[in-house]
Amino acid sequence: MGFEDLVRTHAADLFRYAYWLARDRAQAEDVVQEALLRGWRAFPRLRERGAAKAWLFSIVRNEYLRALGAKPPAAESLDGVEIPDERQDLFGLEMRDALLALPVAYAEPLALQVLGGFSCAEIADMIGASEGATMTRLTRARQALKRLVAPRERAGGRS
Amino acid sequence: MNCLDYRRQLLAGTGESDAMRVHRLQCAGCAAEWADHATFEEALGEAMRVLVPQGFAERMAGAQVARRRKFLAAAATALVAAGAGVYAWLARQDPLALAGIDFVMKEEAKSIMMGTIPRSEAEAELAGTLPVERMERIGQVKHVRPCPFNGQTVIHVVLVVPQGKLTVLVMPALRMEGRRRAAKEGMYAAVVALQNGSVGVIGTDADVVESVAATLQA
Repeated sequence: MGFEDLVRTHAADLFRYAYWLARDRAQAEDVVQEALLRGWRAFPRLRERGAAKAWLFSIVRNEYLRALGAKPPAAESLDGVEIPDERQDLFGLEMRDALLALPVAYAEPLALQVLGGFSCAEIADMIGASEGATMTRLTRARQALKRLVAPRERAGGRS
Repeated sequence: MNCLDYRRQLLAGTGESDAMRVHRLQCAGCAAEWADHATFEEALGEAMRVLVPQGFAERMAGAQVARRRKFLAAAATALVAAGAGVYAWLARQDPLALAGIDFVMKEEAKSIMMGTIPRSEAEAELAGTLPVERMERIGQVKHVRPCPFNGQTVIHVVLVVPQGKLTVLVMPALRMEGRRRAAKEGMYAAVVALQNGSVGVIGTDADVVESVAATLQA
């Protein structure tokens, strides 16, 4: 698969991944655009074409960190995580609000798992954490989301 | 597997393993949790798949195509420029080499008609620049005679090699660097530096001229 085909196949999920890192649509677009420029330059040197998808996601991640001049997001505690009270009328929006309230350190592995379909080991490799720590982040992220979206919609919906 | 393991693995989102499935089928509580979790995952996926700007994928892919075209165009331009440079360099006509060709076409016959000088005299003339023996290793020395060329006195030599006749102009007074070339009317000339002076080789076959010039220089 050539670079253009790779881009065509994964551009949407790369944008979504960048969005969950940056939490800003314009910045997400810029990050993906810059990342793809770097990717295009480096693509001829990519030996494992089978790993191209993970490679693209990693480039987006690196570009986001570079643009921010930031270090990888730290896995801070989820204890103080709250979501706004507004717009809890629809389940999807509630979940999105809850996701926006989730620290990047937790939302990122979740995005890689849900959007990219990567395994724990792959995610651990991409974010530079151990597999155990990655699994913990994924578990805590889901726990927090369930806690955050449960009170009205999910609990009410089932009863 | 117990309920705690089941729910912990479910939360990690790694999918349901065979062991988990066996447990779920035997545990009503975990079966309910599994159903609830499936709804949760569906909502999670839906929430994560934020709206992508219209035509984003095509725009990004198009940018790659545009970059590739731009790159190829730049590469082609560079190649053409390099080719033109090489051609210009190769086609550069050196005045001294051109004068050598003119000599062969206009003056050489006159020198030959005046006859060759005795061998001892030839050896003496060429000794400091290009000994006769060195030329004889390449071919037969048929004619040696000092004559005027390009404002100086040179030694005109006719050398016959297996590929044909060559004109050699030994120039003791000319110090130069590098190699000079010219081609004109089916003739080719190369002028190279010697340890003392220079030598011009003129003939009809460029490869033979280049080869002999290089041998004389070595």
